[in-house]
Amino acid sequence: MMFSGGVTPHRAPANSLAMETSLLESAVSKRSFVDLDRWMERYQQADPEAPAALVGALSPALLRFFKSQVPSREQADDLLQETWLRIHRVRHTYRPGEPVLPWVYAIARRVRVDGYRRTSRITAHETAMEILPEPRPGVEPRNPLPEFETLIAALPEAQREVVTMLKVGGLSLEEVACATSCTVGAVKQKAHRAYRRLRQLLQHRAEGGPAGGNQ
Amino acid sequence: MNCRDVDRSLMEHDKSVTAQLPAQIQEHLLTCDPCRELVQALNPSVENDAPTPEILRKLEETLNAELRPVRPLAPTRYLFAAFAAIFLLIVAAGVYLLGAFAISVMGPVQTIAILGALAASAGLLSYSLVHQMAPGSRHRIPPKLLPVAVVGMLAIVMAFLFQFQHERDFWGSGWACLRAGTPLGLLAAVPLWLLLRQGAILSQRVTGAAAGLLAGLVGTTALEIHCPILGAAHILTWHLSVAILGAVIGLAAGFASEAAERHLRSAER
Repeated sequence: MMFSGGVTPHRAPANSLAMETSLLESAVSKRSFVDLDRWMERYQQADPEAPAALVGALSPALLRFFKSQVPSREQADDLLQETWLRIHRVRHTYRPGEPVLPWVYAIARRVRVDGYRRTSRITAHETAMEILPEPRPGVEPRNPLPEFETLIAALPEAQREVVTMLKVGGLSLEEVACATSCTVGAVKQKAHRAYRRLRQLLQHRAEGGPAGGNQ
Repeated sequence: MNCRDVDRSLMEHDKSVTAQLPAQIQEHLLTCDPCRELVQALNPSVENDAPTPEILRKLEETLNAELRPVRPLAPTRYLFAAFAAIFLLIVAAGVYLLGAFAISVMGPVQTIAILGALAASAGLLSYSLVHQMAPGSRHRIPPKLLPVAVVGMLAIVMAFLFQFQHERDFWGSGWACLRAGTPLGLLAAVPLWLLLRQGAILSQRVTGAAAGLLAGLVGTTALEIHCPILGAAHILTWHLSVAILGAVIGLAAGFASEAAERHLRSAER
């Protein structure tokens, strides 16, 4: 399995203070989500500034969402473009005042499913891996921890999707439930299982052995 | 404080990111290597992974080129009322044409229970369809499960309310019911489809199954009011089968539509 080369891994914080700083840095990007509902309303009213604002605010997280679900950067770029075209076609179905992220991610998720079917690669991606994939050859890892995509590639598709929406998309549990058309309880269960599995993988990696599949 | 509490904190994304991690979680992270590594690993930096400026520019140009004002989808209650109106009007038309012979044969408890169950089923399906029209809506019952749950619930209610008894002309009378109920379902499917087209249907097979079941329930409801045969076997086999047939046709139409769309997109590429 190949992983995209466009990700610049951030250095893992050495202690809890540095980790907090890193978390707070991440929070800066979340502030751009605040005005999304207003921009969506302006987009529906054909404000020419709205597409640029929305594309700029949402595309990085959407691209990362796709990169964690498909094997190549090219495919992720294609899915991103397809998502925006579909968003444009169905922009009237966004209800003003409602959260934008579940609406966008429900569409993105559907685009990904259709993309899978089109490329007939679904089976390969639904198989959960038992060990963390090897890092790309020729790239000296700057970070002792695996990259985000590498780490969650070891999860089943449904769990990977939930973790990516929570940690990359910045969606809340309820918003993930809306985007995936399931209940909050089901989302929590998937996230719990994913974290347990990831913790296990990280532990086995630290011990230098392969992770067992004893879920 | 244990690893499960860390999981919970990780799930509450906004709290764990925009605010400092709770002191108790921090303490746990100092002593638990797997949790510390997990928290660090699940903190990807989106800024470092943006799409290329060319892609962003191309997207903005494409969207701006086709930018026209659109009217947002009607409020949920209006759409729900439209679904309910279609259901009630076609049931009323069916009963007017076929006659309401079952009402005089059924007891009051049977009448209220079966019509109540059918109305509740139609309401649940309409509610789900309204939410399926707007992506990212909250579903209390997952749309994939709803058609199966509705058919199961109706089967239990019918088996409980009516007695299994010998029927003289099981196939003949059943065929007559199927012929009377199915056209009503097909008739209901047309306005339901026109209404659904106003929204964005993401999974056509799931929506197709739910819409087909709702259309089929129009036929089933009309038959429950019309058909004086109260045998459980007759009702479960012939009346409920109109609804199931609708769901199957809707599901097949959804599959066909998705396949056609995929084919078109592949051809475009």
